[in-house]
Amino acid sequence: MTTATLEKKSSDSVNEKSVKYIDKPDDTFPIIGRLFDYMAGEDERSKFILALIVRVIALIGLVAIPFLTGQAINVLSDPNGTTAELQRWVIIAVIAAVVYLVMSFFAERLFADMATRGLQKLQTRLFSHMQTLSLTFFDRQPIGELMSRITNDTEVVSLFYEQAVSPIIRASIQILLTFLVMLIIDWRLTIVALLVVPVILILTNVIERVSTPAFAKMQEELGSLSGFQEESLSGHKVIISKRQQDWADGKNDALADSLHEVGSKAFFNSLLQYPLTQALSLIQIVLVMVVGALMVVGGETDLGTVIAFAGYAALLTKPLSEIANLTSTTLNAAAGGRRVFTIIDEKPTVKDAPDASEFEFKGGHIQCVDVDFSYVPGRKILRHNTFDVAAGESIGICGPTGAGKSTLINLLTRYYDIDSGTILIDGQDLSKLTQESLRKQVGVVLQEAFLFTDTVMNNLKYARAGATDEECIDAAKEANAHEFILNLPQGYDTMLTERGANLSQGQRQMITIARAMVAQPKIMILDEATSNVDTRTEKLIQEGLRKLMEGKTSFSIAHRLATIRDSAKIMVLNGGEIVEYASHDELMAMKGFYYALYMSQFKGKAPAGLDEADVDFVST
Amino acid sequence: MFKSLLRTMGMYKQFRARLVVSQVLVLISATAIIGVASLNQRLINEGIEAGDVEAILSTGMWMLLLAVISGVCLAGTAYFAVFFSQGTGYYVRSYLYRRIQTFSFGNFDRFRTGDMLVRLNADVVNIQNALLYMTLLLLYAPFMLLITYVLTIINTPSLLLVLVIVTVVVLGVMALLIPQVFRAYDERQQRLDDMNNTMQENLAGVRVVKAFVREDYEVERFDQRADALRKPAYTAAVRVAFLAPMLTGITQLGIVLSLWVGGQQVLSGSGLNVGELVTFTQYMSLIVAPLAMLAIVFPFMLRGDASASRIFEVYDDIPTVQDREDAQPPEAETVGGQVVFDNVSFAFRRPDGELDPPVLKNINLTIEPGEQMGFLGATGAGKSALVNLIPRFYDVTEGSITIDGVDVRDVPQDNLRQIVGIALQEAVLFQGDLRFNLKFGAPETEDDVMFDAAKAADSYGFVTNIPQKWEAPVAQRGANFSGGQRQRLSITRALTTQPKVLILDDSTSALDASTEGRVQEAIPDFTDNITTLYVAQRISAVIDLDKIVLLENGEIVAMGNHEELLESSPLYQEIYESQLGSGITAGLDVEVEK
Repeated sequence: MTTATLEKKSSDSVNEKSVKYIDKPDDTFPIIGRLFDYMAGEDERSKFILALIVRVIALIGLVAIPFLTGQAINVLSDPNGTTAELQRWVIIAVIAAVVYLVMSFFAERLFADMATRGLQKLQTRLFSHMQTLSLTFFDRQPIGELMSRITNDTEVVSLFYEQAVSPIIRASIQILLTFLVMLIIDWRLTIVALLVVPVILILTNVIERVSTPAFAKMQEELGSLSGFQEESLSGHKVIISKRQQDWADGKNDALADSLHEVGSKAFFNSLLQYPLTQALSLIQIVLVMVVGALMVVGGETDLGTVIAFAGYAALLTKPLSEIANLTSTTLNAAAGGRRVFTIIDEKPTVKDAPDASEFEFKGGHIQCVDVDFSYVPGRKILRHNTFDVAAGESIGICGPTGAGKSTLINLLTRYYDIDSGTILIDGQDLSKLTQESLRKQVGVVLQEAFLFTDTVMNNLKYARAGATDEECIDAAKEANAHEFILNLPQGYDTMLTERGANLSQGQRQMITIARAMVAQPKIMILDEATSNVDTRTEKLIQEGLRKLMEGKTSFSIAHRLATIRDSAKIMVLNGGEIVEYASHDELMAMKGFYYALYMSQFKGKAPAGLDEADVDFVST
Repeated sequence: MFKSLLRTMGMYKQFRARLVVSQVLVLISATAIIGVASLNQRLINEGIEAGDVEAILSTGMWMLLLAVISGVCLAGTAYFAVFFSQGTGYYVRSYLYRRIQTFSFGNFDRFRTGDMLVRLNADVVNIQNALLYMTLLLLYAPFMLLITYVLTIINTPSLLLVLVIVTVVVLGVMALLIPQVFRAYDERQQRLDDMNNTMQENLAGVRVVKAFVREDYEVERFDQRADALRKPAYTAAVRVAFLAPMLTGITQLGIVLSLWVGGQQVLSGSGLNVGELVTFTQYMSLIVAPLAMLAIVFPFMLRGDASASRIFEVYDDIPTVQDREDAQPPEAETVGGQVVFDNVSFAFRRPDGELDPPVLKNINLTIEPGEQMGFLGATGAGKSALVNLIPRFYDVTEGSITIDGVDVRDVPQDNLRQIVGIALQEAVLFQGDLRFNLKFGAPETEDDVMFDAAKAADSYGFVTNIPQKWEAPVAQRGANFSGGQRQRLSITRALTTQPKVLILDDSTSALDASTEGRVQEAIPDFTDNITTLYVAQRISAVIDLDKIVLLENGEIVAMGNHEELLESSPLYQEIYESQLGSGITAGLDVEVEK
């Protein structure tokens, strides 16, 4: 086993992410070609050719050495040999070795440069393409799943770029050159030296065939074990409270046991290659030496040639097993690349029309006419939604879970395209506007207060390119966030940890409100979040929201009816349809669906003057 | 050094004997390999130079035999290496997990789930790698070097210097290069994590990105991360790729050097012959690779040891809640469910053993059998901490909690948690089917009990609407059910164990008020005289209960039913005002006039 293969094996086992894939569809070669283009395509073509030339020069140096040392040995076995002759061969051999070392170094630099640049190109291409994709793409799978797939796939591709391309090219050229030189020197010894090669190839192939699926199986077992461990440890409260530790222990043991079984098999199979090739290449050298010795005795050749052939034998077998070892890396890369290219080839579902115009804000008058929408064809989420919002009016939206509240507001920012009907903002058809111009005027505060891992200030500035510090601080003051931000360890320069975990839910919310203010939107959309916030914070948040919505056309989804009762109008949704649409007082007087929703909060403890509702509803 | 790593090996009962056998095999195979090379001397001197075909063939046979022996012995070593690494992996995974299962909430506060998972996965893999390469390679190169040095000193002492030079050069170059490679890999990993985090955030915040139209900014940010990744990736890649050609080059230079030094001696007739010289050159090509690998084993061992000590950090942690030795199970039939807090104070314990400021102060409270009590207060008021003390998720710092007069610390946890059932806010379900999940606390329960529990928790309807009903598959963490459904299933699960005291720790937060009301009404009918404790953020969750306890800063500030509190407690009025609107004056007429 060479150090390179040790490195490769170790990186396989160290890096759990390098999942081995066994499927081998027919498009492997086109995909490898496409991956290769990122590394050595058009722009890099000349660099690649240069690397190849440097590599060939290096290997010519290497392949010359056994011949030169053989000649030196001939000098030694010649009774008339002189030190001067020996010196000549030794000096040439040293030059050859130095050429090999220096040129190899340059070749590896060129290849590593192309490899890492190629990977970067692929990564940024993938990322920037995903930025153009619509929400339908992101809805298709949980983000975590998408993320871990991309991480794995790019990692196996990077292994291919960084650890397979250069060795494969190096090994191929080395095999070719060595074989040629051997043939030129002595074809009979060449045949002897090649005797073991098919055995090595077959063995490596067999081992690869056995161990690749075994490693795939091992990854699978590892996946289910760590999946179970993650699930059971994050659910530890349930297990502790129900005293089911024995169940967890038993299941963990069973999973660890089958991982042990599969893992032992996989590792042993793949490790077998090392003693086997080691022994076989020893045998190969012995065969060359013995047959060569017999030929020398028979006067067919000289000792120097035999020793040179022993050297060539090693130069031939090492790269062979190296290539064999790298096939799985290559196949993994093809599988990973296939999935990466699936994303890169994905077309966005919401596209700007070719003749799309810029949105021009004229007060914020919104008309929806007979809007139907479905995420999945045939399963309508919204039906016949028709409503009219006057400029500057505030609209509260309520209804049971699954009524279509979030869907409705998603359509107003054109995260999705509607099935049929029309949405007009200030008389301009939404589908004929550029997404960018629309979204710059429509502010959104979402239920999940999402913040980036960055400073508070940068999170605020995120809302608008070019926003100044002063504007951000003013917005924070408006949103009642200024005071607690100043109390953070580094004030506005405090780093927020992942998903803003070092702030309370309420504080995060206030920052998102301030962030929305920085954007200076003309129309506001809010998905109210209320859980885990105490009353005082709640008041501060409500105050911030009121300032944010002041004088603007606004939509807010409410889960607590108290927060929308002051809205100009309340839109009550049920089953994808607008069932009621009027002010709070009018709706209460109607004693319909809204009234029932409202009364249910009091559970019979409603203030005097309100009767129990007789409408009941079932949430999904 | 490597104490923790060796401790992991000690998890095997008879590992010593096996370890010795494996290393004897390493020694034999090293000897056999050097033997093959050494026989070249005989092949050349007694065979070629003497023209003795017989000698050539017999030497050849010996060489072949030794080659086979080396292969077989190495295969044996590989077997043991796999045996140790995989076996230890199994033991660590199993023992560590078992230890974690004895932990209580306090231990889980110390080590977060993510930290534990790293120890159960990445750290175990590091140990496995260390043991694998240790067994295979740690003594391989030293043995081989030892034999080579001995043979050189005996046969060709004049070439010893060459051997020393090559040894030093290989070790020196590797000692220089390998730490660089590992550093570059660590740096690469960090940059890769940075880049992946950026992507993860971008994907998770895709709506925010789109809302503020910041796609270009995101691409720019990602470009920077990808660019920062490229440099360490390049450094690592160049060094790793150059390793193989470099070692080949050093081997060849070693051969040339020995030919130069030895050749002059052969030519001057100072006793060295061609056979001896050729044999020596063969040593060169044999020792370089094992020497180089030695340099790779050490970093793996260092990593393995660091991982092992991280693992033992968790493994050696003591469960914060343990059964007392004289704990007695109470008689199940006689449990009434009266819960009494007697001057209870509680503070979380920090990892260094010190106490944090108290989260509960001098709580005195009696909950009668069959009572429905609500706990209301802001985040951090101590509601959850208070109810978590009843099933002993934590132990009180001062005072005591009794159920029917028996201190909860005098009851084995198994029995205590049969008496006290809890449904948590984060309703975690496990992969499996619904029946498994709902009977999670009591697998032996009759289906009828589960059906009744499901009816009480308002989950019967939606479950029976699923085609597979109670056999319906549950994805990991219950991801295939909505938040409200999960909470109702979690309440069902708590009811199925038929507890005497039921705690709903903010576990109806995702339900609408009317569903919540139905569940609250149904629970007393499910079990007669069940004591029920509701922890809630929303006032509507507790509004119609017998008694509402209002907590603030770890103290009970008011207690009573809705009407009483509305009358007497300013804090309660404030909460009511904010959540249910100006409800006090919300007579419709007033509103309409406005």
